[in-house]
Amino acid sequence: MNNILCMKWGDKYDDSYVEKLKEQCEANCSVPFKFWCFTDKPEKDWHIPIPTILDKFYDKDRGFFWAYRKCYMFRPDLINGDGKSFPDNSKFLFLDLDVIIHQDLKYFFDLPNDKPWIVRGWWNDIHTVKQNYAKHKSTPLNSSVIVWKKGQMMPVWDHVLKHPEVVFFTSPSLDNYLAHHWYDPWKEDDGFLQGFPQGDIYSWYKGNVFPHDMEKKKIREDHKICLFNNSTQTEGVNTDEIKELW
Amino acid sequence: MVDISAESLVATAMFFSSSPEVFFDDLRPAKEWKQAFVDTEKHYTHCCRSLASATTISQLESKKWIVNELQNLNLEPKVVGLLGGWYSNFLTPLLLEKMKVNFIWNFEIDRDAKDISYKFNKRYKDQEKYQCHITDIMFKEIWRKEEKYGAFDVLINTSCEHMFPMRRFRELNTELSGNPIYVLQSTNEDEYDDHINCVNGPEELAEQAELTDIMYSGTKILDSGMKRFMVIGK
Repeated sequence: MNNILCMKWGDKYDDSYVEKLKEQCEANCSVPFKFWCFTDKPEKDWHIPIPTILDKFYDKDRGFFWAYRKCYMFRPDLINGDGKSFPDNSKFLFLDLDVIIHQDLKYFFDLPNDKPWIVRGWWNDIHTVKQNYAKHKSTPLNSSVIVWKKGQMMPVWDHVLKHPEVVFFTSPSLDNYLAHHWYDPWKEDDGFLQGFPQGDIYSWYKGNVFPHDMEKKKIREDHKICLFNNSTQTEGVNTDEIKELW
Repeated sequence: MVDISAESLVATAMFFSSSPEVFFDDLRPAKEWKQAFVDTEKHYTHCCRSLASATTISQLESKKWIVNELQNLNLEPKVVGLLGGWYSNFLTPLLLEKMKVNFIWNFEIDRDAKDISYKFNKRYKDQEKYQCHITDIMFKEIWRKEEKYGAFDVLINTSCEHMFPMRRFRELNTELSGNPIYVLQSTNEDEYDDHINCVNGPEELAEQAELTDIMYSGTKILDSGMKRFMVIGK
């Protein structure tokens, strides 16, 4: 069973983002799937209430950019909107709300699932990533698109749940946490997570592949997905620039 | 041509001249340092700036401060652990040569720092007096490392401002066989975004580590103008 997940809480994105993402998925996925949205305001049968057990560890005054609620998706005992567990053979494709889908999402469900997949931001200079590694800056990963099979991300969930105080204190973002504990910039093929290959996903605000294809604000329809998230913006603030391209 | 900052040149000169009994007749350390700078510029270009930051008069001051106070306390540690020891270009030679430490572990998360630390400390690595181990000390215990070279006498963390409070490290390492002395440094300088855990003084630093037996507590204004705190205790 293929599942596409998204997540919405707070006021950063309005409901049109969820509706538009669902619409894009329905228009761009040639294999059967179910669409689910984790939300703090569950109203529809495809909505899943977001748990709040990690909220107490998030300190908004630190100015970190922690999309920590994404961690709930990694629970092996995830319950769907019908109040049932996902079947053991479930596959998950998580998408941030601010993405533009260019190509068939079937690609993501057909990927070999020996390891979970995540966006490797190829627009990052790997030397800058290494230079800033100990400073917990310049993460090479981006959690806007993640693919995994049921249970596969359990170690990540368990780890966050076991060490929430240190994880939230030390890592400025979920992407940074994942890059430090589940990926190795020095041995990119050896991590728990593997990055989508070059040519799959690019960034509207940052470019595509460092250093030769870094033009910003350029649509690349031969790629599968365009990301709009921008870690330099203020948390909770969204420019809505993507709406002009929907 | 290696591009080394004037500050690093001066700090290096000060470091070598501060230990003439060690470096006067033996040119190997100087040659290893030269090669370390050359190799970093050639193969680890992205580390040049941080190496320059690690090789300043202030860095030398703060590392010599440790050695001076350990000597003032008449301590003679044999096995020392550096927690986040970075390139350890100053501290490892100072501890091994000035304090006659037998073995130094450096626990680091940065693989490039490990490689470069081995270049600066090549002779000590070859003599099996220095080893760098890649780990995150706030998530994984280090006490099992005692099996190889013996119990830690002293554990030094000169970058507490970059980490979760040290009580966490102690919780992870309750099985350390000895009763190591902690040497901790930090600052109140919070203008850097990687300074995630600044403290207001040595008292707060000791409190964070839950030290109860304070052997030394002090504050120093470094050459850079940064206020640095240090506590030594158990």
